[in-house]
Amino acid sequence: MQHGELKTLLLKGDPEFWPRLAASTRAAREFDELFLLSALRKKAQARHLPVPGVSREKFRVALLGGYSLYPFHELLAHLCEMAGHPCEFWRGEFDNYISEIMDGTGGLYEFRPQAVVLMPSEHRCKYTGHLADARETQRAEAGRVVDSLMELVRGLHDKSQAEIILTNFMLPARHDLGAYRSRTLGADWTFRKWVNFELGLNAPPYLHLCDLEFLAHRIGGLAARDDRAWFESKQPCSPALLPDFAREVAHLIGSLRQAPKKVLVLDLDNTLWGGVVADDGLEGIEIGDTSPRGEAFKAFQKYIRSLKQRGTLLAVCSKNDHAKAAAAFEKHPEMVLRLEDFVSFKANWEPKSDNLRQMATELNLGLDSFVFVDDNPAEIEIVRQFAPEVTTILLGPDPSEYVARLADCRLFEPRSLTAEDAARTEQYRSDAQRQALSATVTDMAAYLESLAMEAAISEFTLVDAPRLAQLINKSNQFNLTTRRRTEAEIHGLMADESQLCFSFRLKDRFGDHGLISVVISQKAGPVMKIDTWLMSCRVLKRQVEDEVLNELMRLARLQGCTRLEGVYLPTAKNEMVRDFYARMGFVLKSESAGARVFELEMDAIQPTLTKIKITRRAYEPS
Amino acid sequence: MNQAEAIAKLQTIFDDLFLEPVSLTPALSAKDVPEWDSLMHISLLVAVEKAFAVRFRVGEVEQTRNVGEFADLILKRSQER
Repeated sequence: MQHGELKTLLLKGDPEFWPRLAASTRAAREFDELFLLSALRKKAQARHLPVPGVSREKFRVALLGGYSLYPFHELLAHLCEMAGHPCEFWRGEFDNYISEIMDGTGGLYEFRPQAVVLMPSEHRCKYTGHLADARETQRAEAGRVVDSLMELVRGLHDKSQAEIILTNFMLPARHDLGAYRSRTLGADWTFRKWVNFELGLNAPPYLHLCDLEFLAHRIGGLAARDDRAWFESKQPCSPALLPDFAREVAHLIGSLRQAPKKVLVLDLDNTLWGGVVADDGLEGIEIGDTSPRGEAFKAFQKYIRSLKQRGTLLAVCSKNDHAKAAAAFEKHPEMVLRLEDFVSFKANWEPKSDNLRQMATELNLGLDSFVFVDDNPAEIEIVRQFAPEVTTILLGPDPSEYVARLADCRLFEPRSLTAEDAARTEQYRSDAQRQALSATVTDMAAYLESLAMEAAISEFTLVDAPRLAQLINKSNQFNLTTRRRTEAEIHGLMADESQLCFSFRLKDRFGDHGLISVVISQKAGPVMKIDTWLMSCRVLKRQVEDEVLNELMRLARLQGCTRLEGVYLPTAKNEMVRDFYARMGFVLKSESAGARVFELEMDAIQPTLTKIKITRRAYEPS
Repeated sequence: MNQAEAIAKLQTIFDDLFLEPVSLTPALSAKDVPEWDSLMHISLLVAVEKAFAVRFRVGEVEQTRNVGEFADLILKRSQER
């Protein structure tokens, strides 16, 4: 904590003090630091250090509750002011909120609050009976706690027309009852959870919950509490949690006055995938389940897709070759986001700030509703300087932290439930019912049908090579020959026309399983010899084997073959496929030292019908 | 550490927190320093507990009447560790 520079600016009367103070405030995490910054702000105000920009009308906020609201309100005042929402506060007396609300004690209503922050006392959120009382009795009492709070809040809103910010209850963090705590609703642990649930699910539109339970969970239950602070000065929580608590309330107040962001603009190279697509090529970029970095980028794309699903518009702004950038989305099989997910796609060599301005014009949206995300500090800086209305997020060096950066940015939070949201909820519900149904289906065929499986079969490709190598080198159980190959050898197979090799991707309505089966075979006259056949055990009993055999026969016939030859080579781990070829209709021809050779005469064999819809076949244009 | 050394270390914390320089003496108390209000006091305690790695017992800080007694309390609690 070194704020000597701020102090110097303040003592010199330099207006640069204000932007520096705002930046330090955004970065400050500790209670005493935030406190010091607040003290500096008040001193600057007392010295009439001129504030740049327009002065805003103050928002009237009343604070009341079963706790000392001091020094909480100092932090809150500071954070609101630094976020550009200066507030004027009315502060209730310690634990006098019921009479303040019911009788207007202290002049609450004369203050004409536009928002009221209410922190009810957790000491009144306790089951008063016995731990072993009937569940219904305990539940009824929790219901009464919720009802009386809701009634209080309704009265407060009716009399003041103010928006209400209500804190819920922190959970205990001591072992106390041990495992028994979750076997009764009479424990503080379960009772408060129940009350918190009911408060959130029943909140009317004017009620905004400040989720203290979540905030405490986020830093840890033990760190969130400080009994000494309660005994000495009736604090609602520990000094460690107080800054987060004040930030949350400031955020809720800010969101009453400011619309959420609408557009998320993304860089490409080292943001949505690892590497530079124009240099490294489609097969050189890191995305997908073949490496930890690839997985991290894929998870980031999935998170971004979830933002789109809740209504955020997505756009791309990248210094890139347009054709190569677009091809990555069109051709790379592991890409989660697709071109049609973006409302605007700018991959060129113009400054990003210019691209963003153009985008705003085209979409007819204000630049201040844009958020720009990049891994490159230089690009972030250009946007900050030349399109300062845009909010920027610098991702940093580690893609495993990208999701957290966005998930904690607080810019895309839904505000209230709309009719559309409700309809969506209804849809989710029927989905859940379908799922429950299929879980009860005992008929295997009906179950497979209900999965709505789709598969894409592909010849080996450069892009798939890393995943192919990974499967070939790690599959043990469903692997007929366990022949390992390097990525270079896979490239070799692709160049050899006598080799017929394909991979199998499966998805169903619960998700994408990705690339899960691999076959390598060679044409030798009228015989197609199966060198490698392996499959991920995740998709056993899904009829994948049947479709793989269908494809093998199709390819063999196209090559003019009449017979398939397969071999089983035993290892310590592949016992499960010892009789696999026999089960598939092959005939055992020879056996030596455990190796078993099988043949299938194809002339009389029809493809097996399955519940998998094949969307693409090998060696055919997709 | 003796009282003088504790006060010297306290001085650095005060220098960080207070805008106007405060020169600590054992006899100095909060009412002698206009900036030392209850808000500053809370901040000060958090900073002191962190810097000295001590934890005061409930209610005991408010029993101290000046910087000297406060320093003695810090010493007493640090010796327990």
